[in-house]
Amino acid sequence: MIKIELPDALRPLAGGVQEIAVEASSVAEALEELGRRYPEARLRILTRGGQIRPHVNLFVRERDIRSGDGLETELHDGDSLLVVPSVAGG
Amino acid sequence: MVIDKRLAELRDRISLLSPAEARARLAAGELMIDVREPGELAQGMPAGARALSRNELELQIDELAPPEVPVMLICASGPRSLLAADALQRMGYSRVTVIEGGVERWKREGLPCTRPEHVDADTAERYARQMNLPEFGIEAQAKLADSRVLLVGAGGLGSPAALYLAAAGVGTLGLVDDDRVERSNLHRQVLHRDDGIGTPKTDSARATLEALNPKVEVRTHQVRLTSENVESIFSDYRIIVDGSDNFPTRYLVNDACIKLGLPNVYGAVQRFEGRVSVFAAGGRPCYRCLFSEPPEAGMAPSCSEAGVLGVVPGVIGLLQALEVIKLATGVGDPLIGRLLLFDARSTRMRELSLGPDPGCRYCADGRDFPGYVDYAEFCSGATSEDLETHD
Repeated sequence: MIKIELPDALRPLAGGVQEIAVEASSVAEALEELGRRYPEARLRILTRGGQIRPHVNLFVRERDIRSGDGLETELHDGDSLLVVPSVAGG
Repeated sequence: MVIDKRLAELRDRISLLSPAEARARLAAGELMIDVREPGELAQGMPAGARALSRNELELQIDELAPPEVPVMLICASGPRSLLAADALQRMGYSRVTVIEGGVERWKREGLPCTRPEHVDADTAERYARQMNLPEFGIEAQAKLADSRVLLVGAGGLGSPAALYLAAAGVGTLGLVDDDRVERSNLHRQVLHRDDGIGTPKTDSARATLEALNPKVEVRTHQVRLTSENVESIFSDYRIIVDGSDNFPTRYLVNDACIKLGLPNVYGAVQRFEGRVSVFAAGGRPCYRCLFSEPPEAGMAPSCSEAGVLGVVPGVIGLLQALEVIKLATGVGDPLIGRLLLFDARSTRMRELSLGPDPGCRYCADGRDFPGYVDYAEFCSGATSEDLETHD
């Protein structure tokens, strides 16, 4: 089981929850499953073309997936996928 | 307690002197060594004593006295000098004595003290508690006094950061903000008060900071930061703190810091969450490595739309102040290459690893500075549909 951890800003688009449990073996699969349940939440993370939006970072095992295998980053049982979008508030 | 037993044994074995006796011997030319840490000396040490801290004593005693010479030791209240005396005896210093009650009793009895020349009385008293920290001491305090820090934004993040940096003794504290104080600011922007509503934030901030610590030089820039004025403002400072509330300013701050080789202490908040990091001088990573582009229109609500719990910028602004102090003094490990996330709902912090983007247009190896852009357009033009065409 994989845990997708959503930021405050995306929770209203995902039934108000912070964590979503999915079965997935890669980041792409996890986000696909997120999209099946909450299409709007997925659209805030990926473009319609399936690319990670430039203002969003995804972390697995506390590392940015862009510095690794990107959306093909493997997920293992118990992993968390953390979504960190840009915010400007000060 | 083991230490109590040990100190009792040492008191029985080592000769003790009253401060008055010690002063007489000092006047007769006997050596007195103050073994406290440098930061403690700022509040005054016995006039005529030599300073050699406990952890340097055995290594450097040779330079002050050979083993056959009488040595008096003094610390804050006694225990450290007893342990120090024991250490010197083991090295062959047989004529070691300890001043009972230490500097505290010395002062109580009205005996004369001096301070290190470069520390004035106000500094010695005001910063006593942090200069007492052996890792901080007079040296870090002096570095803080020499530091020049610019806060971009005197709002939710800038307020706590400015208050604590002023209190800590930053020498020059600049503030850039062109807003006026509104009532809706006051639940989090603790530099400002109800009676300041309607006044420029820079004026309100200056009054608060100067009242808190008159030693700090507060400089205000009541302007909106632009590509045209950013370099002339930033070039007077050594550390930049990004406490702005909008994307155009954040990208401008990043780009100017890269251009001018300044560290950027980044913080941002929304709703119940905040994050903080330090982008080192020259970046790698920089803010653009983390977020290469701002959110397209409608993808990220502003603070005024999304709201923010007042203490969240308080927590993040204080962490920014902490990072500034570390950068300015060299004490501790700054959050370079690390992003700290704070979730107020769970009161949880987590640290993420940040790496440089090898394709970063602004800070990647071998890149020339590409120039400033039209930040308002950069941050407002794209729509969701526009982005699709870039896929």
